[in-house]
This record gives sequence, C-alpha cells and structure tokens, in this order.
Amino acid sequence: MTRFLVLARRFGPYRAFSDALSMHPGLRYGLVAVLPVLWIVVANIAPLARMVLISFYESFPLPPGETPTLTLAQYQAFFERPLYLTAFARTFIFAALATALTLFVIFPIAYYISKVVPRDKRLRLLLLAIAPFWISEIIRSFAWILMLANRGAVNSFLMWMGLTGRPVELLYNNISLTIGVLYLTSLYMLLPLYAALEKIDDRLIEAASDLGALRFTILRRIIMPLSREGIITGCVLVFLLVTGLYALPQLLGGPSNTLFASIVGQVFSRAGDSWPLGSAFSVILMGVSLAFVAIFMALFQSRRTRA
Amino acid sequence: MKTLGRLTLPVYFWLFVAYLFLPLLVMAAVGFRDSNFVAFPIQAWTTRWYQSVVFERDIMSSIWVSVKVALGATALSLIIGIPMAFFVAGLRGFRRAAMIAVIMLPAFLPVIVAAISLRMFIGVLGLQTGIGAIIFGHAVSTIPFVVVMILTRLGAMSPNLADAARDLGADEFIVFLRVTLPFLMPAIFGGAVFSMLLSFEDFVRSFFLGGFEPTFPVLLFSKLRFGFDPGLAAISTMVLVASIVIGLYAERFSRRRQLGNSSKIVALDQR
Repeated sequence: MTRFLVLARRFGPYRAFSDALSMHPGLRYGLVAVLPVLWIVVANIAPLARMVLISFYESFPLPPGETPTLTLAQYQAFFERPLYLTAFARTFIFAALATALTLFVIFPIAYYISKVVPRDKRLRLLLLAIAPFWISEIIRSFAWILMLANRGAVNSFLMWMGLTGRPVELLYNNISLTIGVLYLTSLYMLLPLYAALEKIDDRLIEAASDLGALRFTILRRIIMPLSREGIITGCVLVFLLVTGLYALPQLLGGPSNTLFASIVGQVFSRAGDSWPLGSAFSVILMGVSLAFVAIFMALFQSRRTRA
Repeated sequence: MKTLGRLTLPVYFWLFVAYLFLPLLVMAAVGFRDSNFVAFPIQAWTTRWYQSVVFERDIMSSIWVSVKVALGATALSLIIGIPMAFFVAGLRGFRRAAMIAVIMLPAFLPVIVAAISLRMFIGVLGLQTGIGAIIFGHAVSTIPFVVVMILTRLGAMSPNLADAARDLGADEFIVFLRVTLPFLMPAIFGGAVFSMLLSFEDFVRSFFLGGFEPTFPVLLFSKLRFGFDPGLAAISTMVLVASIVIGLYAERFSRRRQLGNSSKIVALDQR
C-alpha cells in the first residue's frame, strides 16, 4: 500500500493535491470535517427536529396540496386521558426507584472489585460481572421468564423444598419487572462506579482508618464524596435507560404496570394518523427525562463546588 | 466479627455473579430437556433441540439478517466515526464540548424516542423500512461510542510521530496509513466489535425500522409473546455463547494491542 502511494506521487495532480494537504492544515481539516458534519446534521439533529415538527401537526401524512396547520391538540390529548398520565407518573417513579436500587446493589460490588480484590485479579472479576451484558435484552428477559414462570426454575425449587404447595406468582408483576430491570441496569452503574472508585488513593482510606474513623464514617466522608462523579454518571445512565425501556416491561411486566415507553410505541404504531400523537408523546418523554437529568446533575454539581 | 466482615463482600459479590449467570445456565439446561414443554426438574435429557433448531428456516434467516445488519452498521459507523473523531480532536474549548454533546445525543435519548424519530425520518432519506433502515438506525446509535473510543486513543498520541514521518518525506496519505491508523488500531477494533455486539443485540430500533425480515431479537420477541419451547432456549443459548465469546475475545485483543503498542510508541517517543 505504501509502495503504491509512493508510486502515485509520480502522478502530477495527485502530488499537487497531497502537497497542498501537507502545506495547509486548514484544507486537511476541512476535508476531514465534511462527512462528520453532514452526518451530525442528518442523523443527530434532523430526525429530532422533524419529530418535534410533526408533533404539532393535526395529521400526517398530509393530504396532497394542503398546507399543514400547527396545533397543540396532540399535547392536549396527553393531559386528557388519565391512562397516559398515570403511566407517565408511574414510569418516572419507577425509574427513580430502580436507579436508587441499582446504586445500592451495585455499589458494594464496584467497591469489592476496585478496592478489596488484589490488582491483578480485578479485571477478571470485572469481566465476569460484565459478560452477560453482551447478550440481547430479549434473550435475558427470556432467561428470566424461564426462572420465574409458574413452572419455572424458582417455583419448582420452592415446591421441591416443600416451602410452598402451589406456585408463587412471580412473573408478570412488579417482582419480575424489578428483577429484570436490575439485570439490565447493573452494568451502566458498575462501570462508572468502578472507574471512580479505582481512582481513589487507598492511602486515604488507610489514613482515616488509622485515625480511628469508623467504616461508616470512611464511607460517608471519603469514599462517597470522592466517587461522586461516578455515582452521578451511573445514576443518569440508569435513569435514562429505565425511562426508555420498551421490550422488557412487555415481556416481564404485567398489564397493570405498563411503562410509558410501551404506550408511546403502541400509540405510534396504531393505524391511522398516529404519527403526530406518537411524536408528541416522544417529545414529552424526551423533554421530561432530560429535564430530570439536568436538575439531578445541577443539584449534585453545586454541592461539589460548595464543599 | 472481623472475619465475618471480611467475608461479607466476597459472598455478596459471588451471590451477584450467581444472579447474573444462574438464569443463563437454566436457559441452557432447558434447551437439553427432552419434552415439548418447559418444566423442572429436567428428568430426560436430549441434544435434539440444539440440533434441530439449526434447520428452522425462520430462525436461521433472522440470524443471517442480524449478521448482515451488524456488519453493515459496523462498517458505516467506522466510515463516519473515524473522521468524526479527527474532526472533534481539532476543536477546542466550548466548541469541542458543544460538538461532543451533539454527537453523544443519540446515546442519551430514551431508546424509544430515538427509534420513533428515525422511523419518521427515513422516508426523507428515501429509505424504506428494512435492512438498510436498520443499518442506518444502528449506526446512529453506535457512532457516539466509536467516536469516544477513538478520540481517547487519539488524545494519547504524540503529534511528534506524524511530524517525524512528514520530516522524513511522507505525504499526508502515507502518514495516515502508516502512522496514525496503526496507532489507532486497538481503538478502532474495539469500537468495531462494540458496534457489532450493540447492533446484534438491539431490539427497539430493529423493531420500528424493520420490514418483513425480522432480526433475531425481533423474531424472538414476537415468538415469546405466544409462548416458548426448549428449542427457543437452545437457539438463545447458542447466540448468547457466541456473543460472550466474541465480546471476551475482543476485550482481550484490544487490551493486549493497546499495551503492546503504547509501550512501543513511548519507547519511540523518548528516543
């Protein structure tokens, strides 16, 4: 390849072009920037802009020759049906609870891998905890269905032990939903927490413990503050993941705990002129979840500057 | 008391590992059950599910669709992601932060929002729902990760390397091919495998952007809504093992390359 490029330099126009690139970093940069800028506009910005626009339409696709009238009707529909509002509120409460639960469950795991285990074994244990996350959400939900179903592994085990005479209802309710969601979210909490905890100097912890600090004090006064960045990142990632969950709640959750993303999907795929309504719901979901994240980050970042 | 305290964390950790792996092991075991129904304990064992599922046309064709989509999305995200990393690397200060925010945006949107906005947009690009649209949708979601991985590696590269090559008479193309690209290779490889796995396991985007040919997760989802049999457990197990093996291999490879390469580069730098 190099030989070919060296040969190509005998060819005048090519040499002029490549010399121009060497001489003018600006030209080089401009050429490199074309494709990325185009992509950012087409893939990252335009679809969202179009979605926001469609959410103000009365119907879509428009009848030919008609100019679109902008309306707030789609947004009103959201506030008129209690079904939508309760699912919406439930989603955000559930997301907040799931985020807190994930933090509580994963923090000791991240602490154990990054602070207790000897350095050369850390990566192996981390990989062990990460490996299941290369698998599809659907396959993982399926695995939990097999665990929790009435004739599934857990119930069979309980009945074999004689702990229960007939199957316990584990599937299609909040239990199965929570177990499944935790299974999805742990990675997004584990990696930022691990990265943050790993950076903490062990000597700080030793010093505190030499000075007689209790374990809880060390946790509260040293480890928590120094890993704040990781905690914030993890919580934000998990929260956004849960608010957008679509498939897992349909497989593991019951009819009474539908999350808002499923409703958005249903509304959007419904026959008829449902794109504007689906768009409006998406805009609401996106706006509120990003607002939550912004408030959350503002709260905790300001605390850091005070300290 | 002290030993008890010392034991709590390891025990808790291994319980967590059991929580992660037990369902997967149960699923693998169900695939060996000699019956048309799923129940426990498994008394009669058979390998027929693992054998026969390979001949089920709809499952195999959905896996083939998934593979095509994953390869296409990976290629596209490298073609766009590599220049995008260079583009961001050339920015400073506020512009850089703002550009990174815009690039990362698709990774932070609720997945359903991303899928729906793309579904309504593909018509503008002249795409129909189908493999092409899914590839586009997956690339949108994987490019942020590719860019971040390459950008991190790019930040570790000394500008002296490229300058030295230029002083020795290399033109820009040779510098890119012989100096920059080899240095970035671990990050590119890591980003590629990450994109591939992310694309292969995606459900929501494939579901909304797909046409009549479902990807494997979409097919599995629609089958699971009507029930399940040991055959589904068998094929899921096989896909799962393949994903984990590829993921672990890629992780190892890119880490080894990274260590090897950077030490060499450091040695070169100091000379």
